[in-house]
Amino acid sequence: MTPEGISELISRVALRDRAAFDVLYSSTSAKLFGVCLRILGNRSEAEDALQDIYVKIWNKADRFAVSDTSPISWLVAIARNHSIDVLRARKPAAAELEKAVGVAEPSPNPEQSAIASGETKRINECLDQLDTDRASAVRGAYLNGESYDLLAIRHRVPLNTMRTWLRRSLMKLKECLER
Amino acid sequence: MSTIPPDDTMPEGDDFVAAEYVLGVLPEQERRDAVRRIENDPEFARLVANWQRQFDPLNEQFQPVTAPNYLKGQVDQRLFGIDSGRVATGASFWNSLAFWRTVAVAALALVIFNVSREYVQRQAGSAPSQLIASMASDTGPLRSVAIFDDKSRKLKVTLVAGEIPQGKSLELWLIAGKDAPVSLGVLKSPKITEFAVSTPVAAKLRDGTTLAISVEPVGGSPSGAPTGAVVAAGSVSSI
Repeated sequence: MTPEGISELISRVALRDRAAFDVLYSSTSAKLFGVCLRILGNRSEAEDALQDIYVKIWNKADRFAVSDTSPISWLVAIARNHSIDVLRARKPAAAELEKAVGVAEPSPNPEQSAIASGETKRINECLDQLDTDRASAVRGAYLNGESYDLLAIRHRVPLNTMRTWLRRSLMKLKECLER
Repeated sequence: MSTIPPDDTMPEGDDFVAAEYVLGVLPEQERRDAVRRIENDPEFARLVANWQRQFDPLNEQFQPVTAPNYLKGQVDQRLFGIDSGRVATGASFWNSLAFWRTVAVAALALVIFNVSREYVQRQAGSAPSQLIASMASDTGPLRSVAIFDDKSRKLKVTLVAGEIPQGKSLELWLIAGKDAPVSLGVLKSPKITEFAVSTPVAAKLRDGTTLAISVEPVGGSPSGAPTGAVVAAGSVSSI
């Protein structure tokens, strides 16, 4: 799917074109479902989330024009943010804490790194300049929706220490990305 | 796991809150506060957008997973209150188009979109009675989409990937059940070829019928049956 193709679809969805919405769904739902599944970690929640996400896309399509971002990034951001909202709203947070103990830390998949595009390479290069722990915390947060609470438990540090630690990592990351 | 050095000076500022929102680490209430600020504070919204742009390349690591068919029907139900009949046929349609989700490089979509826009404009408001088939093969690069308009009895076929081989023709076949393939004609253009479909053939064009494309000598098979390799095939679904 070309970015231009998706852009045009979103613009037409903003004009309430249901056929464009059908095609947009068919060509992007697998990617967005992948986002939901990875962050929520179970199918039934991911399926509910995906429905909510396409309802949002239909309702917010007119905002895409002013967003100054690539169409697929715009869609993934909606899916990621919604999935993280669902994750944070879980009560109690027991399931998430379970995940902290049970799930291995994410590491970059060598295969994926090898085929990654230039841009991905850049952010990975900058992440690699951080200590391993810190890079994996940033990746884990972004890709798995891990919260400060969960990261603090995993790294066995107080919440505030975790936050300080992550903010410092973000500072370094930004310096590197803007270099 | 290495130990994390304690550090008592936390960097402060909106830029960090924006980054934390994008990363997704904030607890529920702080996250909601951030969303409210994005809506009302353009400067904060700009910081969020900048961070999002920095992290966007990581999105490549989200692996696509085909979503269950019935979800799109439920979305339509919620948005448009479509009756269950439409939902049911919609579901089978999405199912048959598994290739749309798996084709990674869908420069195709624009073409598909243009074709579908055309048929949708025509059906505006009326009950949908469109048949569609996506033809592909596991081994070759050729992909094609066919759309049949019941009213005009025109079957429109477009190549969305691959091309007509030099010095050859691509011929379209209809295969209903165990019947012998029926030629519908050769593709005149990789963009859109319109095939007029006779009434008896149109009657065979329904859910489950196969459409296939074979490579033939210029002008089409001399024998009336496919002679060359079948380079793409797919079944017809109604939408």
